[in-house]
Amino acid sequence: MAGEIRPKSKEELEEMKIPYEEYCRKAFDPGNEHGKPGALTGIRWLSCTMYIFTPHSAANLAELGAEVIKIEIPRMGDAMRHTSPFNEAYLYPLHDTRPMTGTGFGFLNANPNEFYLSMDYHIPEMREVFYNLVRQADGLTELYRPSTFDKWKMSYRTLSQINPRFIYVWGGGFGYGPKVFGGSYDILAQAHAGFASITGMHEHMGGHATKSSNWVMDWNSGSMIAFGVLGAIHWRRKTGLGTMIEFSQVQTAAMVTEYAVPLYGRFGIVRQRWGNWDTQLCVHGIILCGKSDFPDAQNPQDKFDARYVMVSAFQDRDFQELCNITGQKQLFDKYKAHKDRVEALAQVEVYLALEKWAADKTRSQVVKALTDAGILAYPVMNDREVYESPHYRERGTIRWMDDPLYGDILNMSGYSTGHLSKTPRKVSWIWRPVGADNVKIYRDMLGYPLSKVEEWYAKAWI
Amino acid sequence: MCDIIWCKKEVGGKPCNTVNYLDPYTFWNWEGKVNCAECKTVYYIHMIQGFNFKGPEERPGEKPDTSPLYADKPLEGYKGYYPGIEGRTRPYQCLPRHIYLGKADMVKFSIRGRPVRGWRPQPPSAGIAGSFPYKWDIQKLSPEVWQEYQEKKKKGEVKDW
Repeated sequence: MAGEIRPKSKEELEEMKIPYEEYCRKAFDPGNEHGKPGALTGIRWLSCTMYIFTPHSAANLAELGAEVIKIEIPRMGDAMRHTSPFNEAYLYPLHDTRPMTGTGFGFLNANPNEFYLSMDYHIPEMREVFYNLVRQADGLTELYRPSTFDKWKMSYRTLSQINPRFIYVWGGGFGYGPKVFGGSYDILAQAHAGFASITGMHEHMGGHATKSSNWVMDWNSGSMIAFGVLGAIHWRRKTGLGTMIEFSQVQTAAMVTEYAVPLYGRFGIVRQRWGNWDTQLCVHGIILCGKSDFPDAQNPQDKFDARYVMVSAFQDRDFQELCNITGQKQLFDKYKAHKDRVEALAQVEVYLALEKWAADKTRSQVVKALTDAGILAYPVMNDREVYESPHYRERGTIRWMDDPLYGDILNMSGYSTGHLSKTPRKVSWIWRPVGADNVKIYRDMLGYPLSKVEEWYAKAWI
Repeated sequence: MCDIIWCKKEVGGKPCNTVNYLDPYTFWNWEGKVNCAECKTVYYIHMIQGFNFKGPEERPGEKPDTSPLYADKPLEGYKGYYPGIEGRTRPYQCLPRHIYLGKADMVKFSIRGRPVRGWRPQPPSAGIAGSFPYKWDIQKLSPEVWQEYQEKKKKGEVKDW
């Protein structure tokens, strides 16, 4: 029969009989990823990177199975190793010569599965060694100020002569243009691209232009570079030629400002902030409840902040139900049509009424009342609740791993990015000390004698 | 945005002249009594959507419900009150805990009781040219932590999640 899917074997027949959810569980099988191949096995990438943005681009490849060699400053390493939340959460050692220094959790998730090489690019003798790495690699990511690598004869125009298949990524603040020498941090990208200007509540409602707490532009830009690299690899399969990729961080931040720029182009209107509410849907926001779910807890996130609920009821019937159960029938009569309630002043009225209704309730009471009525509502959870959430646990999103060098680590890393049934992402180790793989790379891969490696080490060239 | 109470109460023959800052996180939609951080005069205010709808009105002899977040005296240079001064300003909940004051908290075990390499100094364990092996041999490198771990296991303090 046309369109009918017929099993090709007995096993396939059995497989087709199982419910879809079970089929997915079996296909993805979280926790057993290491028995499956890596999609990018065979790709060798050099990561001449620091901080989060560019390291994360290489980390994406490493989680998918590429062999990534991270090159760091001898005995010092990536600057990101030396940052940590509130000066806590360090893992030791960083390097045998610095027994009192560790690598901070700021470094976590940006460089897993990589091999750690140390090299001082300033030393002319080391440049030839670097070229030898390039001869055996598929590409690199670097983040130095534009033309720095060019000055050192390590930019695409030199490296493509050495290895025409080489894919070269520069990632940084602005790229060529009027701010060519401008560096960038995540916060700068958020500010420069107008992203921070549309985040947070409006000032006359108690808000300010707001930086998203986490370095979302770093993580996002790093992932976007990885897409570029995959495109370049595909292109190379067809043409045999490498590519140069130039990636300006402020560009990615501009991309996620949604309709802001087109809106200006059409009407000359500058987009305003709208905080926890939504400019396109109403009700579709976060409301504050009067009582915490954990009033006796010690941690302020539990004690005071377990009071926020996300509510979505923008369709007419949902909105009507929401008005019914919160005792605001007059609101539905007033704003029956979505186009009316999505207006700014209407939203102020609607959300205030909801918060007034929630003022004598706890977060879970509000969620229960709303979900019982068939309305989409979820508590705004904190990290502890995320850790305890069975959803993440069952899907392997957040998991404990026994890092071979650092012990028991809870992390999400590559497991938070979605499942691949045949070639899943994996995290084999979170990071390694500075220069931990010097012998493996310099001697085993490049063939330099051990005496040479030791000599470079003694001179602090590596 | 933040509203203020500029206290002009006569104290000792001259106006108090203290600016009490009413942070929006507490006072955005709020009705009640708040003290001046300097002279402790109690004022009633009613704020709606960040604007002072009523007040400030003096309420002599009454107890304040809360205090301003901080206060200063703009006509007297940088004199002022930081958050968290008892009886004057309100503590904010994000005051750093003692462990956040510049000294890293060393740990030997994760929250589920298994060893984690979170303390210093670690015994040197690199090989040639700073190369590291692939496995942390805790039993060999830190036998005392290994011992502690065995004790924890016996006591049932090591969990799966």
